[in-house]
This record gives sequence, structure tokens and C-alpha cells, in this order.
Amino acid sequence: MNGWRTLFPNARYIAIREYRSRARSRSFVIGTLILAVLAFAATQTPILIDAVAGGSKTKVEVVVRAAGLPSDAQTVLDQALNGAPAPGSSQHKSFDFSWLTSDQLSPAQKVLEAGKFDALLIVDRDASSRDLVFTLRTDLPADGRQAQLIANAVTSLTIEDRLVRAGTSAAAILAPTRWEVLPVNSSAATPVNSLNQEISSTLLSTGLIVLIFMAIITYGVWVAMSVAEEKGSRVMELMLNATTPLQMLTGKVMGNGAAGLTQYGIVLGAVVAGLLAQGPIHKAALGTDAGAQFGGLSPTVLVAFVVLFVLGFLLYSLLYAALGSLVSRQEDVQSATSPLMMLIMIGYFLSVFGLQAIDETWVKVASFVPFFSPYLMLARVSMGHVQIWEFALAILLLIASIAVALFVAARIYSAGVLLYGQRVGLRQVLRAARMSR
Amino acid sequence: MSLIVDSVSKRFGEIHALEGISLEIKPGEVFGLLGANGAGKTTAMRIVLDILRPDSGTISWKGKLNTELPRETWGYLPEERGLYAKMNVLDQLVFFGKLHGLRGKAAERETRDWLERFRIPEYADRRAEQLSKGNQQKIQFIAAILHDPQVLLMDEPFTGLDPINAALLKEAFLELKDRGKTIIFSTHQMETVEEMCESIAILDRGRVVVCGPVREVRRSSGRQVVRLAVEGDPEIAWLGTLDGIVVERRGQDYTEVEVAPGHDPAVVLQTALVRGCKVRHFEIADPSLEEIFIEHVGQIDSSERTLAPKTVHA
Repeated sequence: MNGWRTLFPNARYIAIREYRSRARSRSFVIGTLILAVLAFAATQTPILIDAVAGGSKTKVEVVVRAAGLPSDAQTVLDQALNGAPAPGSSQHKSFDFSWLTSDQLSPAQKVLEAGKFDALLIVDRDASSRDLVFTLRTDLPADGRQAQLIANAVTSLTIEDRLVRAGTSAAAILAPTRWEVLPVNSSAATPVNSLNQEISSTLLSTGLIVLIFMAIITYGVWVAMSVAEEKGSRVMELMLNATTPLQMLTGKVMGNGAAGLTQYGIVLGAVVAGLLAQGPIHKAALGTDAGAQFGGLSPTVLVAFVVLFVLGFLLYSLLYAALGSLVSRQEDVQSATSPLMMLIMIGYFLSVFGLQAIDETWVKVASFVPFFSPYLMLARVSMGHVQIWEFALAILLLIASIAVALFVAARIYSAGVLLYGQRVGLRQVLRAARMSR
Repeated sequence: MSLIVDSVSKRFGEIHALEGISLEIKPGEVFGLLGANGAGKTTAMRIVLDILRPDSGTISWKGKLNTELPRETWGYLPEERGLYAKMNVLDQLVFFGKLHGLRGKAAERETRDWLERFRIPEYADRRAEQLSKGNQQKIQFIAAILHDPQVLLMDEPFTGLDPINAALLKEAFLELKDRGKTIIFSTHQMETVEEMCESIAILDRGRVVVCGPVREVRRSSGRQVVRLAVEGDPEIAWLGTLDGIVVERRGQDYTEVEVAPGHDPAVVLQTALVRGCKVRHFEIADPSLEEIFIEHVGQIDSSERTLAPKTVHA
């Protein structure tokens, strides 16, 4: 193979040509635009959900005719119905209260009848028992969820009122409950992760794996397509004398890879822009603020993602190029590359299941296998369950397999590009690869 | 210091594409490679270009093996025409020039120069798909020679061209020959061979059956052709009775007979004069290349004995 000596500059010329012809094509420009717009729109869905959910808020007027209501009654009702606010979050409230004094009963009744509120809660005090008495005027079902929730809330208020009258201080009643969750094995040193943390790193891992998966199946096929196109249009014959298979292979993988990364970058840029714009848009549309959350994306995970992304793409697109060289028409690319598709799918599903069983032995073993490591090692890194040497070993194995793939792909490629017409079987390829330069 | 193909063999599975072919092509020569479809012409070219590796045998040019020569040594016009459909003509010719080691500026200058010579300078900015087939073929030809290669290998360069474009291409061939380039091309068109080639080789089923300067090849059979026309007797029926003479063709202008090796063509004239015929035309000639070809190979285009990696449309 005289290509090993003189990879450049021809591989670079080919890469540039591939990149330009790809990036200037109408399908690329339109596809990128559509994807970017969709990605931006997708990041705005929480606003849409809020806007829809905001309409179903239950609005309640409260008219207090009872004297001596506990001073924090409003807080008690609010917490009982809307839950305790998580620090820093701007959580959606399902109940909205409007507190009125006793002289405002008749206007309140009118507003209720006009349908501007869902319910009117009247708070009285029984003259003999001194207990609070609640009356709810509403057309909501009496045994419905909202009515039940309100019933629970007023019960809490009643109990507080009784205790206050019995002489317990309000502060003592409402002091936070001591509440702790411990692992089953009490000697375990690691603290239990919060549910939020666990969910967000699983979500993050899944997201990153999907990103790699999508890139490989989309842009890998581009490489195969461009090989088949060149062969189909017979330019290949001219290229064969002008370059070596290794130069073509390298150039195609680099050029199409760079075009793919460009599209990816633009779409990811749209996502980031969308997340950043979420707050302002939310405020403009709904009047309330909602901050974007980039939880869990540490620099370590980011570096691992980029390294695994690039290496995984290289490995698979080399094989895509080799398979693409076996067909004569672009229409046949899909069927010729289906074995590779299967392999990619297996890796993807392994990692999806692996996320649920990140410490199982099979996950650990599979995370070193080159075809699967881009997914599974990434999953392990982002879940924080990996040693540095494990990561390094997986990367080394991946690089070694890329070198092997380059060699094998160049052989298949140099044989494949000369085979026309017949559907090429594995045996023919191997035989042809033995004969080629 | 010639291009030497030394007992090259190549098998594709069960099929013997080339069986020990040897050729010597002198520098500066125009060399014709003839053969029926599937005779091994394309395979031979690909092996010379080091696109395919032979099972045995070697190729050398000016004493160096082809595996050690830079790719720029060769210019190749493949039999299957193809360009990047969406790319404009200038861009793709510059691209091919750069792949062959030209600098961008030089590649562009050469491209414009050649487009001018082929009378299509206005096509520089057109996309390849907008060009006619003949013009695409000219672009491909330019792609093959842009980098000024020492040896040109052209697979069926004249097929599919109209007479005007064929003449343009022949002109370009002769110019390249004047510049000292060695040109090897394959063709089915015997007139083109007789017109342009100094030497030829006829391939049949992977073997060289005849090889050498065109005149020698034509004489090599030992047969001769006599063309005779006499007043008032277009049939010349008595020709068939002569020993060692076979009537090939009876036409309006003359009757053509073939004289077997070892027989004297003068006998035909003598007999005619003895019979008192008024001879209007008498000519002794070597058999045409077409006849030589048929003698060695059988009918032109007789069978499609196409081999495995030779390109076939699905």
C-alpha cells in the first residue's frame, strides 16, 4: 500500500471537496435549518406546558368572618394545598387564593357567580364550641380532587386553631418535622443520592448517548452515500488513478464527519440558545420567571463525551465507507449497511438497559468493547461510576480498533470500488480484498 | 527505457483475465490495444496503473517498477465516463489537478488553457450535469492530462464522440505525442488505429496474439489481398477457379480476393491478361487490420465474455 506514506495532502483535498459539496447541497442547508428550528422549539415546550397548565389553576376566594384566626393561616392553607416550596424553584401552583374580609362577602358572591373564581370559602367560628366552621360554595364536584384537597387543608387549619387556643405557640406547631432517609445497610458509607440527582444524571446520560447514536447513524450513512455516489457516477474511475484508497477513505471520513459536526454544532447551538431564552420568553409570555437548568454536566463528562463521540464516529464511519464501496447505487446503501445498523442498535440498547444496572458486571465488561464503549463508557462516566484507568483502557482499545478498521476498510474499499453490478457477498469481498493492492 | 509489461498474469476467481502478457511500448509512441470485449484490455491498463496488482509479472517504465513510480507519471481516461455532477467544471478539474500534485494556480491556468483548446472556455462555470455527453468526455480527457503525465492510458477514448469532437481529440493526441508523451489507447475502431497508431497489440482472452508495428502486423499473416476490376465483367467468375485464391468480396468498383501464403499474387494479373480481359484496376495490398483482427480473434464484438471486475452496468 503506497498510501501509507503519502496520506496528505490528497486526503485533505478530498476532505475539503467532500465538505464543500456536502455543506453547499440544498438538502444540507434545508435540513440544518429545519433541525435547528425544531430544536429551538423543543426547548420551549416547558413554557407551553406551563401556559396550558396555568389555565387549570383553581382560584379560590376566602372570606374570613371568624375572629382570632391564627396569624399564619394563609401560609398554612397555601402550604397544605400547593406544597412546600422547593428552594430556588418557581414551581407551578395549583391553587390561587384571594383573601377577603367579612364585609366583602356580597361582592365576592357576585364575582363567584360571574365565573371569575372556582370556589368561595367562608370561614366562621361556632359561638358555643369556638371551633372554626368552613363553608365552600362551588360548582366543583363535592367529592372531587380539589374539594378533597381543600377539606384536608382546612382540617390542618382547624387543628392548628385548636392547639393555639389550648396554649401551644404557633411556632412550635409549625416547626419542621425531623425526617431522614437512610440506606438499608446502615454501615454503608455513601449517602443516598437524592431522587432528583439520580434522575437528572440518568437523563443526562441518556441524552448524551442519544446524541452519539444519532450522529453515528446519520453521518455514518453520509459517508457510505458519498462513496456509493462516487462509484455510481463513475468518478471513482478517475479518482482511482489520482489517489489511493486510503487517501479517499480518510478524506471522505474527515470531510463528511466535519460536515456532520457542523450541522450538529448548529443544532446544539440552537438548543443552548433555546435554553438560555427559556427564562426571558417565559417571562414575556406568562409573566412569571423560569430559569434554565444545566444540571450535572461536569467538565469531566463533557471531555469524555467529546473524546468518545469523535472516536466512535471514526470507527463506525470507516466501516460505513467500506460497506458503501460494495454497492453501485445509492439506493442500495441502506440494505448494504444494515448489518452495521444492527451493531449500532445493539450498542444503543445495551447502554439504555445498562443505565438501569450501571454496576453490573456485564455493563463493565461491555464498556470496554470498542463497538459499544462510545455508549457504555459514556454512561458509566456520566453516572460517576468509573475509575480513570478504566476510561483510559477503553479509549486505548477504541483507538487500536480504529487502526485495525482503517486497515481492513482500506482493503475492502480498494477491492469494493472496482466491483460493479452484482450484489456483493462477504466471500467475494474477502477474496477481492486479498487480491487488491 | 520503454514501458515494459513482463509476463503479467491476473486471475479473478476461476477466470483468467490475463495469462502472461508481455508488451514493450517505446517512449513517445502511440500504441493501440485491440481486443474483443473481455479480452483483458481494461484489466491490463489497471494493472499498469497499479490500481490492480497482478498475481505474477512486473511492469516497469524507464527502468522503474510501477509500484515505485509516483501516480503523476500516468494519465488515465477510464472507459466509464463520470464526473461530479453537481460540481462546476473548473472546480473539479482544479481538484483533479491538485490531487495529481499541481498547485492550485497552475491547475487553474492549465484548465483554462485546455478548455480554450477544446473550444469550450465558457463551460468553466457550468456544472458537469449541464454538459452534453461529448463535452463531459472532453472534460474527463482534460482531467486525465491536466498534470502533464508522461504516459497516457486511454480506454476507448473515441467512443461516443461525434466526428468533429473526435477530430479535436485526435488533434490533442497528436499534440501530446509531439510533446513526447507516450500514448496507449484501446479501441474497437480499426480506422482510428490505422490512422494514429505506430504499434499495436491484439489481446484475446488474456493473451497477446499479435504485437508490433502496424505495418509488420499487417504483413505478419503472410496473406495478401488483391483487388481487381476488368471492363465488362463485374463478376469475374473465373477468379474462384485459381489455386490459393479465395474471393472475399465482389463489389461495384472491384473484386477483392485473398491470396494464401506461398502463392504469387501476380498470377491473378497474368491470368486476366491471358484471358484477354481489359484490366481497369489491379492492386496488391496487405490485409486490413480488421481482417487481421478477425483472423486472430473471430468476429469483433462477437461475444460478451465480460470478466468479474470489468465494469458492467447492473
